[in-house]
Amino acid sequence: MNKFLLSAEGLNKSFSGFKAINNLSFYLETGELRTVIGPNGAGKTSFLDLITGRTKPDTGTLNFENNDLLPMNEYEIYRLGIGRKFQTPTVYTDHTVFENLYLSLGGSRGVWNSIFTRIKPEQKQRIEEVLEIIKLTEKAQWKAGALAHGQKQWLEIGMLLAQNAKLLLVDEPAAGMTDEETHRTGELLLSLAGKHTIVVIEHDMTFVRQISKNGRVTVLHQGSVLCEGSVDYVQSNEKVVEVYLGRKAKTV
Amino acid sequence: MTQPLHKRESLWFAAVAFLLVILLPLADAFGIIDHFTLNTWGKYLCYAILAISVDLLWGYTGLLSLGQALFFSLGGYMFGMYLLLMIGKMGQYKSDLPDFMVFLGHTQLPSFWKPFYYFPFAALMVVLLPGLLSSVFGYLAFRSRIKGVYFSILTQALTYGAALMFFRNDMTMGGNNGFTDFRFVLGYDVRSPGTKRGLFIATAVLLLGVYALCRWLTKTKFGLIQRAVRDSENRVLFSGYAAANYKLFVFVLSGVIAALGGALYVPQVGIINPSEMTTEKSLEAVVWVAVGGRGTLVGPVIGAISVNALKSYATRAFPDLWPLLMGTMFILIVLFMPKGIVGLPTQLHHYWNHWRHHRKPSPEEEEATAELTTKPTSAE
Amino acid sequence: MRGATAPDAAQASIRATIDQALTSTDSAEQTKLIRSLSVTGGPYAAQILALWREGNIFLYKAPDGKKIPVTLVETKDAQGLQAAIKVIDGTPLTGPDGKPISLKFSLLESAETDASLRKAIKDVNDMAALADPDVKLRIRAVQSVANEQNPAKLPALEARLTLEQDPLVKRTIHESIALITLKTGEMKQRIAACVELGNLGSIPSQDALKATVTSATKEGQADLAKAADTALSQIASHVTFVNTIGTMFRGLSLGSILLVVAIGLAITFGLMGVINMAHGELLVVGAYTTYVVQCIFGPGLAISPFGFSFSIPGFHATGAAYDAYFILALPFSFIMAALVGVALERCVIRFLYSRPLESLLATWGVSLLLQQLFRLTFGSNNVQVDSPSWLSGNWTVNDILFGWNRVFVIVFAVLIIVLTWLVLNKTPLGLLIRAVMQKRDMAACMGVRTERVNMLTFGFGSGLAGLAGAFLSQVGNVGPSLGQSYIVDSFMTVVVGGVGNIIGTVISALGIGIVDQSLQQILGNPVLGKILVLGAIILFLQWKPQGLFVTKSRSLES
Repeated sequence: MNKFLLSAEGLNKSFSGFKAINNLSFYLETGELRTVIGPNGAGKTSFLDLITGRTKPDTGTLNFENNDLLPMNEYEIYRLGIGRKFQTPTVYTDHTVFENLYLSLGGSRGVWNSIFTRIKPEQKQRIEEVLEIIKLTEKAQWKAGALAHGQKQWLEIGMLLAQNAKLLLVDEPAAGMTDEETHRTGELLLSLAGKHTIVVIEHDMTFVRQISKNGRVTVLHQGSVLCEGSVDYVQSNEKVVEVYLGRKAKTV
Repeated sequence: MTQPLHKRESLWFAAVAFLLVILLPLADAFGIIDHFTLNTWGKYLCYAILAISVDLLWGYTGLLSLGQALFFSLGGYMFGMYLLLMIGKMGQYKSDLPDFMVFLGHTQLPSFWKPFYYFPFAALMVVLLPGLLSSVFGYLAFRSRIKGVYFSILTQALTYGAALMFFRNDMTMGGNNGFTDFRFVLGYDVRSPGTKRGLFIATAVLLLGVYALCRWLTKTKFGLIQRAVRDSENRVLFSGYAAANYKLFVFVLSGVIAALGGALYVPQVGIINPSEMTTEKSLEAVVWVAVGGRGTLVGPVIGAISVNALKSYATRAFPDLWPLLMGTMFILIVLFMPKGIVGLPTQLHHYWNHWRHHRKPSPEEEEATAELTTKPTSAE
Repeated sequence: MRGATAPDAAQASIRATIDQALTSTDSAEQTKLIRSLSVTGGPYAAQILALWREGNIFLYKAPDGKKIPVTLVETKDAQGLQAAIKVIDGTPLTGPDGKPISLKFSLLESAETDASLRKAIKDVNDMAALADPDVKLRIRAVQSVANEQNPAKLPALEARLTLEQDPLVKRTIHESIALITLKTGEMKQRIAACVELGNLGSIPSQDALKATVTSATKEGQADLAKAADTALSQIASHVTFVNTIGTMFRGLSLGSILLVVAIGLAITFGLMGVINMAHGELLVVGAYTTYVVQCIFGPGLAISPFGFSFSIPGFHATGAAYDAYFILALPFSFIMAALVGVALERCVIRFLYSRPLESLLATWGVSLLLQQLFRLTFGSNNVQVDSPSWLSGNWTVNDILFGWNRVFVIVFAVLIIVLTWLVLNKTPLGLLIRAVMQKRDMAACMGVRTERVNMLTFGFGSGLAGLAGAFLSQVGNVGPSLGQSYIVDSFMTVVVGGVGNIIGTVISALGIGIVDQSLQQILGNPVLGKILVLGAIILFLQWKPQGLFVTKSRSLES
């Protein structure tokens, strides 16, 4: 019907009078790596909440591959192929790294299946591949709770990879990482672009510049899109400079 | 990720099975232990089954149900209906009807009682009724995402409502006196040592079966998801699992397990009445699990047996102080022993390491600390 | 002496009439004179006439041959003589010398009565009761006249109607007149009586009306039957109205009980998120405190916890001073429960703020502990807490009974809500409480001692529970397990209202109370009603899982 993988139109959402999302429209093409930036409270995380079904918009439409997302709940949306990494690392702390990835692998999500299924060699192989990518092979049997902050972030990205999601929603992947880790995360995301469609929310402008070399950047402000374009365009946009980059624009 | 039971664990399991199913009944038959003791232990094993059902919900899935005593007694009531009809004309009023019905002036057996003459039907109902109730309640509760303490409060209300219902005489379920004075089960005299031994063995087999089933279940992918729900239910939804279905399955399963335990409990203690289906009884079972160690399967069994053995002793030795003791014990365990008896060695080991680490600082360090602690006071 | 307040002139005229009757020798005239008093005589006449009937009025033959009716005072002097009082004016009987005359009882001649006279006297007495100063007795007298169905008494009733001030008595008189007319009047009057009864919505006349319908139908008096039928349906709708209002009122008072019991929980559970299973026991602390204060006002108290017996002497107060104990018990109940609550928070709950399920379990342990302590201190049986006299009694408005204790329940609930609202919204503590409950970290950064605020908040919630306990001691039994019977209800109330919302708790408590009472009214079975309410709550939470009032937030932890 339309060429966009994800299209959001006229979204509104308020929390006890506070308008978190204000007439937001957003379109995403397949294979894109989109970076979303914006000051605190611009509605970035709220937007992801709406896409993933965590909260429902007051008005507006949300479509993913011609599926109406509004009547769906979290796990139904997930099963369409939308994966999310949360702002604060959210992994199963009492499970091992291996188990975390195992739970994220594609396949049946039914209760009976979960009781009678056994891990298959190809599943094991896929997990090992992902472990390789996120560089946690040695820590496969560690409890996820025992990992360092950056490693948890990576594990959560690994869970998205294991899921083989079509659309990856990545909320502040570089938060709490060292510069080197951040750089590697950027490379990882860049290597995934094309195979997956990715939305990255980020604050760190160095990181944003790194990952949006070829992609587009969307700036959110007060719950709606302020401007959209290449990173250079966005950074030189006066409105953006005014509301967000202000002081930063000169230092970056 | 099903794994075969660990070898050492299997050995332990076999040993306990041998003890419970063969050794203890033999000892009873040859008079080495008295019938009363065996009967008491049969009761403890029923409690252990109840405790496992509580732990499956609370320890593994993070659902603190205060309704397990309800399912336990529903199972007991269903089986009790069969036992009551088996009394036949041997009741006080020498009537075909159960005594309480004669007393209330009934002349006919209510039609829903009639099928309970047949053991298979009663046995089916032991599973079916609690299963049905837990399905409906669980469906409603989990669908609307009632969780945490709200779930506890709601199960409390369910139990309370059910108890009110069973207290009513027009339920024709014995009112507040419930069922008692049982005579026969499957044609055997329920009061004879032989039958009691049989019931003990049945309970032991059930407990072992339940243990093995839960052991297996918690090691499957289902078990992983179960614990994931406990630790981070929202994340489970964002991993594509319908958490509500998993919770519903566990809730129904543990409801049925509790009911089976209750069904075997009733012929062994010889009575069932609505005071068994209270929140306090559910909470008592939670205490056993907390004492033994939640999130393990051995814990509930150890907890149920040890707390009840202590209770039997204490209620005879110092009845006034027992509730004080139990209350205090519970508070202390919740505060200081979150992993219960099973977790105690690890906890002690941890403390020991901690203590050793802090006890043996190098002389320089000792001086440094001394300086640090004295400094602020000297400055003032 | 009843009737002593009647105006002197009227009394004098009554005395004169009776005197005239006593001295008369014609029985018919006597009866006529007495009957003339039946409307105007009232209790005053009844009193004197009673003496006559009992043979305690004597006819003293004066030296001039005139008969003077007198009564004798009770005390006898040394010679066995009793002083005489003249019936005509109540003054002592004097001889020609002006000195009081004392008479010998045995030598006197009683004023005689015959059958028709005695009947007349009884009628006067009955009618006198119509003027009784006690409203309740007056109503009873009117009703007993109605039961006699004697048309001869209609004039008396009508006369009373002109004097009567009390609306309730007036209504009853109307009712009685109509009832008598319905039975004995002419056709036109009977139909009018039906209309009157229907308009009055007279519940007690339903039987008479039904009988009228039956007999009128039998005798082909269609108009009368129709009128009676209309009246019956009018009364039926009045009954429905009375029942509905009565149910609403009882529901409101039950709701108020729930509210008072749950308001403390709305603070500790709703605002702080602590599941306090010992909330019920905090109620009991309040109730026992009330009991102890009462005992100190009264006979004192002897208790023997753990085998150490000691006693507290009492003030042996009586009457209003004793009733005042309850006023003093209120603050004490609050303080005691608040202290227990603070101790509970410091020793147990503060370690478990992040683990709500564990706090549920630990506080259950506390609940067991406290229950047993109560049992060991005050015994397992219920203790007697007296209600102050100003809490017994009731108002009946338009056939609807408003018990004072139920009214008190509602007023008390309003007071507690106002108190809570004031504390939360108008005091520095309230400001801190709201700040900490909304954003703990932020409040801590601003220098708020959150630990202390937690403690005080919990203490405040517990204190409210104590107040509720003092209050429960007035509406039910006080025993060690009193708290257990309220714990489910109070949690339900808070959950339905929406956690963290006091208004929600108010609405939910009143709603549950009214629904509960309505179901009881409809089903005629309190237990079934209760079970249905629980079922309804579970279904309600399907529709609104977070209760009536959702506190929306952007918080991601929820």
